[in-house]
Amino acid sequence: MAILVDKNSKVLVQGITGTAGQFHTKRMIEYGTQIVGGTSPGKGGEIVEGVPVYDTVEFAVDATGADISVIFLPAQFVREAAIEAIWAGIKHVVVIPEHIPIFDMMAIRKEAKRYGTIVLGGNTPGIISPGQANLGIMPDIAFKRGKIGTVSRSGSITYYVADTLTRSGYGETTCVGLGGDPVLGSTFDDILMLFEKDPETEAVVMCGEIGGVYEEIAKDTISRMKKPVICMIGGVFAPPGKRMGHAGAIVEGNMGTAKTKLKALEDAGAHPAKTFLEIPRILEAEGIKPAY
Amino acid sequence: MRLFEYEAKQLFANNKIPVTQGVLCSTPAEVRNAVLNFEGKGVLKVQILSGGRGKAGGIKKVESPEQAVDVAEDLFGSTVKGFPVERILVDPLLNIRREYYLGVTIDRARYRIVFIGSPTGGVDIEEFAKKNPDKVFKESFEIDENMYGFQSYGLGLQLKFRKERLKQASAIISGLYRTFKQYDCKLAEIIPLVETEEGELIAADARISLDDDALFRHPDLVKMGIEKRHEEGEMTPREKLARENGIPYLDLDGNIGMFPGGAGFGIMGIDFINYYGGKPANFMDSGGGPTPERLAKMLELLDDNPAVKAIFGARFGGISRCDDFAKGVIMFLKNHGLSKPMVMRMTGNQWEEGVRLFEEAKAESPELFQDIEAHGIETPIEDIARRAVELAAEEAR
Repeated sequence: MAILVDKNSKVLVQGITGTAGQFHTKRMIEYGTQIVGGTSPGKGGEIVEGVPVYDTVEFAVDATGADISVIFLPAQFVREAAIEAIWAGIKHVVVIPEHIPIFDMMAIRKEAKRYGTIVLGGNTPGIISPGQANLGIMPDIAFKRGKIGTVSRSGSITYYVADTLTRSGYGETTCVGLGGDPVLGSTFDDILMLFEKDPETEAVVMCGEIGGVYEEIAKDTISRMKKPVICMIGGVFAPPGKRMGHAGAIVEGNMGTAKTKLKALEDAGAHPAKTFLEIPRILEAEGIKPAY
Repeated sequence: MRLFEYEAKQLFANNKIPVTQGVLCSTPAEVRNAVLNFEGKGVLKVQILSGGRGKAGGIKKVESPEQAVDVAEDLFGSTVKGFPVERILVDPLLNIRREYYLGVTIDRARYRIVFIGSPTGGVDIEEFAKKNPDKVFKESFEIDENMYGFQSYGLGLQLKFRKERLKQASAIISGLYRTFKQYDCKLAEIIPLVETEEGELIAADARISLDDDALFRHPDLVKMGIEKRHEEGEMTPREKLARENGIPYLDLDGNIGMFPGGAGFGIMGIDFINYYGGKPANFMDSGGGPTPERLAKMLELLDDNPAVKAIFGARFGGISRCDDFAKGVIMFLKNHGLSKPMVMRMTGNQWEEGVRLFEEAKAESPELFQDIEAHGIETPIEDIARRAVELAAEEAR
């Protein structure tokens, strides 16, 4: 199994007629992803990369049974597009563009909670279940089907971690990009619980970085998990950043530095890795055997 | 994106929050005139994009026009918290009876808007909040919720505003919340809200931070001259140059030039270099799909830095494709040339094309590539980091 997406997922591309939408639709299809349709208001009836285009998500869902969507649209259209998808019954929405206004992502999150939808991003490289489906912009070369789940705030870190798992024989079940924007559609704990329930996933690598609170608030979930969690936090040597005023300090308190994140995660039982190469060593020490 | 105090006050005034009627001045003569209009007294406040102005000497009380000129002459041309002082806001002196703190921000963990108020204001609100959590009142809201009158009135009661001021306090509280929502703020603070001896409530200082990413839907702010701006204090010449070229860049104090790919590995790469005993000369985000021209500019920036002894290059192509990366590196080698050793690794989307471009260019002019050690997916990135540390150490010797 895998989480969120597999070879049976029926994928819709919102913004399929744009340059990025078209380019990555082709790549995703080549990987074997089941792209069943795209949307672009006013362009219903066209065909892009062999895929039918619909005017609205609702039409696309009716015609194709699409259950997951990837958004390739400029940031200012993402709120509309994501909520349209959520209301049309799409189960997972992947927001590739970056710089989504914070209020927009909060509105999307609210609708997603109401309908039980999982939204990833903004600024996510996407999600891949190796050998089954690749949604977004991730480079195929890093991934191979195996037994470790990964979840990360950064695209490049996702690739490096998967590359290391692939080369050490562990491979991946699913790699999830949470996204790099300051407010995200999903948090680490949302995704960690899915990996905990996935029978094929034997351990999870979570990668965060300085800033924000998403790593710290994952600690309760991690302490409830039976599967080993390996954590990496970027920014141990980063110069101190800016704080969000007094109100930010009062709300977020002692969170946001590499130190506070590592401490929260280690206290919850996660195993810290400093470099990518330490990950397979920790897996081995945890008694997990390579997949191939 | 932070606003100047006078800008923030303008936005508050738009939502009927009483603010001090200060005068924005650019010369000591203007400061003198402003003070004369306030019966010879006032508060001079430097307008910079930073908090903590008072403690840094950027806020001064003056008792006479002559003193105002002296103080203004000292302030203009000085730097406060790294910012050159170009403008001073002259506020009338208030007879302060009491100071409150009011703020609105986002609770990212819970995805809610949070209103925070305290009956003790002032710059030490954070310390106060830590020691007296029971005296700091919070109320949180869903993103699409408005603050009802009974809620702002209730907050006013909790904050112990005097009975005859409650109605006004309630209007200020809801006005602050409205301002926050109206302009896509990340933070809006009145710090402090002053109750004067005369019994008036007035915002003495104001702080607003906007969501840069939402500025596109606020043409009214752009009309006010509020556009994307840089919030750092002093920038190094290289940071300025990087900024002019749209390159996210910070100078650090080491000797390894970092050309790392996206921001995620830009941050973690700094850790790796440190783990292997090296010191990065910079932070850079070279991801996000830059054009070959911009990539070439990034390398020039590193190569021109005399502190840099070796360059660490990494590209794991996702949205930033390897063919563009190779084009950028080749453009740099041809037009500028590499004057220090560089070790790099390239893999990811379009890596085959990237490798082909390199081989073609190398066959044409091998001398351009003599200082480059190029690797692909077979070499772990850790080895590249370790090698960069070695190269820098050799060069420094």
